[in-house]
Amino acid sequence: MMGDIPMRSTRPLFGFLLGTVMLLGLIDASPTEAQTPKRGGTLRVSYGNEIAGLDFHTSPGYEMMWVGMNVGCGLINITPDGKFVPDAAESWQMSSDGLLYTFKLRKNVLFHDGTPVDAAAVKFSIERIMDPATKSGMRPFYESVHSVEVLDPLTVQVRLKHPYAFMFHMLAGYRTGLVLYSPTATQKYTVEDRKQGKPEAVVGCGPFKLVEWVKGSHLVMDRFDKYFEPGRPYVDRVMIRVIKDPVTEMAAFKNGEIDFIASFSPDHVDTLKAQSPKAHIMSGKETTPMVAQMKVTVPKDGKPMSVERAPHPIFGDVRVRKAVGCYGIDRQEIVKIAFKGQATPWVGMAPPGTLESVNVNHMCPYDQGKAKALLAEAGYGPAKPLTLELMTNNEKSVFSVIATVVKEQLARVGVTANIRVVDKVSWMNTTLQDGPWDMYVEDLLSLLTIDSNGYLSTAYVSKNSSVWSHPRHTDTKVDDYYARYAREMDSAKRKAIGKELLEYMADKMYWNTVSGSPFYMVSQPWVKGYVYNAEFEVHWDRVWLDK
Amino acid sequence: MRTYLLKRLLQIIPTVLGITFVVFVMMRSIPGDPVVSLLGDAYTEENAIKARHDYGLDKPILLQYVIWLGKLVQGDWGTSILSGRPVLKDVMLRLPVTLELIVLSMAVALAIAIPAAIIGALRQNTWADYGATSVAMVGVSIPEFFLGVLLLLVFSVGMGGALPSSGWVYLPGTCQTVVCAAGLWGNTQHVLMPALALGVGRAALLTRLLRASMLEVIRSEYVTTARAKGLSERPVIFKHALKNALIPTVTVMGLQVGFLIGGAIVVETLFAMPGLGTYGIDAIIARDYQQVQGFALITAFAFVVINLIVDLTYTFLDPRIRYT
Repeated sequence: MMGDIPMRSTRPLFGFLLGTVMLLGLIDASPTEAQTPKRGGTLRVSYGNEIAGLDFHTSPGYEMMWVGMNVGCGLINITPDGKFVPDAAESWQMSSDGLLYTFKLRKNVLFHDGTPVDAAAVKFSIERIMDPATKSGMRPFYESVHSVEVLDPLTVQVRLKHPYAFMFHMLAGYRTGLVLYSPTATQKYTVEDRKQGKPEAVVGCGPFKLVEWVKGSHLVMDRFDKYFEPGRPYVDRVMIRVIKDPVTEMAAFKNGEIDFIASFSPDHVDTLKAQSPKAHIMSGKETTPMVAQMKVTVPKDGKPMSVERAPHPIFGDVRVRKAVGCYGIDRQEIVKIAFKGQATPWVGMAPPGTLESVNVNHMCPYDQGKAKALLAEAGYGPAKPLTLELMTNNEKSVFSVIATVVKEQLARVGVTANIRVVDKVSWMNTTLQDGPWDMYVEDLLSLLTIDSNGYLSTAYVSKNSSVWSHPRHTDTKVDDYYARYAREMDSAKRKAIGKELLEYMADKMYWNTVSGSPFYMVSQPWVKGYVYNAEFEVHWDRVWLDK
Repeated sequence: MRTYLLKRLLQIIPTVLGITFVVFVMMRSIPGDPVVSLLGDAYTEENAIKARHDYGLDKPILLQYVIWLGKLVQGDWGTSILSGRPVLKDVMLRLPVTLELIVLSMAVALAIAIPAAIIGALRQNTWADYGATSVAMVGVSIPEFFLGVLLLLVFSVGMGGALPSSGWVYLPGTCQTVVCAAGLWGNTQHVLMPALALGVGRAALLTRLLRASMLEVIRSEYVTTARAKGLSERPVIFKHALKNALIPTVTVMGLQVGFLIGGAIVVETLFAMPGLGTYGIDAIIARDYQQVQGFALITAFAFVVINLIVDLTYTFLDPRIRYT
């Protein structure tokens, strides 16, 4: 295969991937021990939210994903420093034109039902995700895939229609990454069986096999003895419980009832530190954006999602967007009040911890004078005061705090923001279904790369944009930026395009980030070997209990 | 009595159906759409339309209700839209937890209310009475979640984990899952704080009610007669006065079951218990219609049956009461 680039886990992949080496600070708190791991025991994990369902290709939510990453295996994984490492694939190659990806699978990989993980199983899983009938949230990221071919039982080749710079990132770390499903079990059982977590239907090739999921009570995974990594996993069992109240979660942690908190409320980190000084609190640069989003267009004919768009009565005017979202919001103050200083004030669409993110804070300094001048230019002032609705939801208490601070800040420039707090589902309905809203405060999904999820990749695109493009701008220049960015294989060139894109989005205020949204995991001092990789990769196969 | 019982049992059917119908219509009338939660990041207009069709959500509400009812009479409570799990199975898994919590909360309430009310009534306008009344007032005023957090901080955090903060250990023989912790001592440890948190508020209410009834009863002529006959104070109070005074209290106890179910939502969430309360609230938040219906059906049924039992209890408390 002349001109192809061979790759192995021990070597750097290619030039631009080397640039990802720090994955922007995510290595903050990985506990690395030189001790010899001990076998046995149960890792008791607490989740703050319920698992929605267990079909790894379609069910939503981080809680599902973190199970999927441990029950399932994929082709490759990504480390906190941005390196790609083998999972079921032992090596891989990308052709020089970036259109052919060839994966060589390990010989000894088995699904939990005893069937082999072979090229046909890889083809089956990718095609299942690509099938519109599956309704997978990952499908948009496979848009570039032309076909998947089985070259031999242990070699599979993915052919692309056009280059896609984030193919490896996508396979390794978008959502669950690619989770391989046993074709035998998947064909035998229905999607409903997988959603409800029937162990015989949820058959992956990861270090743990599903034993039982009792919604509202527990999820249990046991060590898969035939896991392909010798000796791993170290713990015999992972038991997940849902504890929604952070006060209870802290009490359970202090009492030693749980070993690991998969996602801890930022509001309570200081209290937890005081209550449990030996707790190992893991965090890194924020990869989730906290936004004060503004709607740019509305349906011209009043029908939601209509392709015929008219400017939003308030924020259709870029001067008002900039007055309110850019100069009228004091991001430092928001971070100080809402996050006790434990977040990064941020303007750019991609948060500080995301690969190839660029700091464009200088484009939006807090400037009441400029905000008032722009509002006056747009026709607003004492004679015609601007009043808008600021929607948020009650999923996290910090949203209401931020909304209140934004309201106060906007009042300083003569804008009245009326806060409307709704529940999460109502918020999703309003935003996804092109409902009436002016501005909302929320944090969105975390981003491994600028490209990395449907929220943003499709939000860039004005034509055929997804429902997740909440502002619903119609600027085709953004489409061009995104297409060039995601298809550019040269790292330096891509970064330059990415910078332009982020600056353009900030300049037009199509996407209004106010800060990063901190993410915390907590473990007991006796929990060893866990490698923190933000929300992206949660693997318990290296974890062992030193007690 | 048999006719009365039969009548009341027959009344349960329209009552429960009425409640489920109201809940059915209300859930579909409030903003929110379960397919939003179902599809998550796979949400597109196309997928949403297909999902609504798959789950029959695009049919008229009345027709949806008839379909739900049709399945219900065949023993099919439907499946959760979000998780795909059978509703009946999940309800049955969670029912024992909430049932135990409610029964023990009521036991806690009565254990506090009966002695406090008797003392308050017998020692009217003394410090003992003022003390019992004041405690009752405080108890009524403290919300379950606040008392629950206080208990958690004292017994779980403050006393080095004297009581477990969360989770559940089943009573022996009640486990329905593959992996399950069961044991009497563990169960007692786990249920103590939630039962206290839920029961104290009810205790306060019942104390005030029972004290007032007792005050009325101990001044009645038959109590004076009992004393005049030379009966000692203990049988006068417990056999003659208390039994009669309990009638209005028992009525309120039955009605309090509704409040206990509401309180269970808060307490179960706080103590991370796998009960019906958390099942119901999760369903409402996610607009998981089938799950909400299951929750409404079982709670409505429990409420009606408990109130029937309460009515039947009157005949035990006062033999003069006869149902025909």
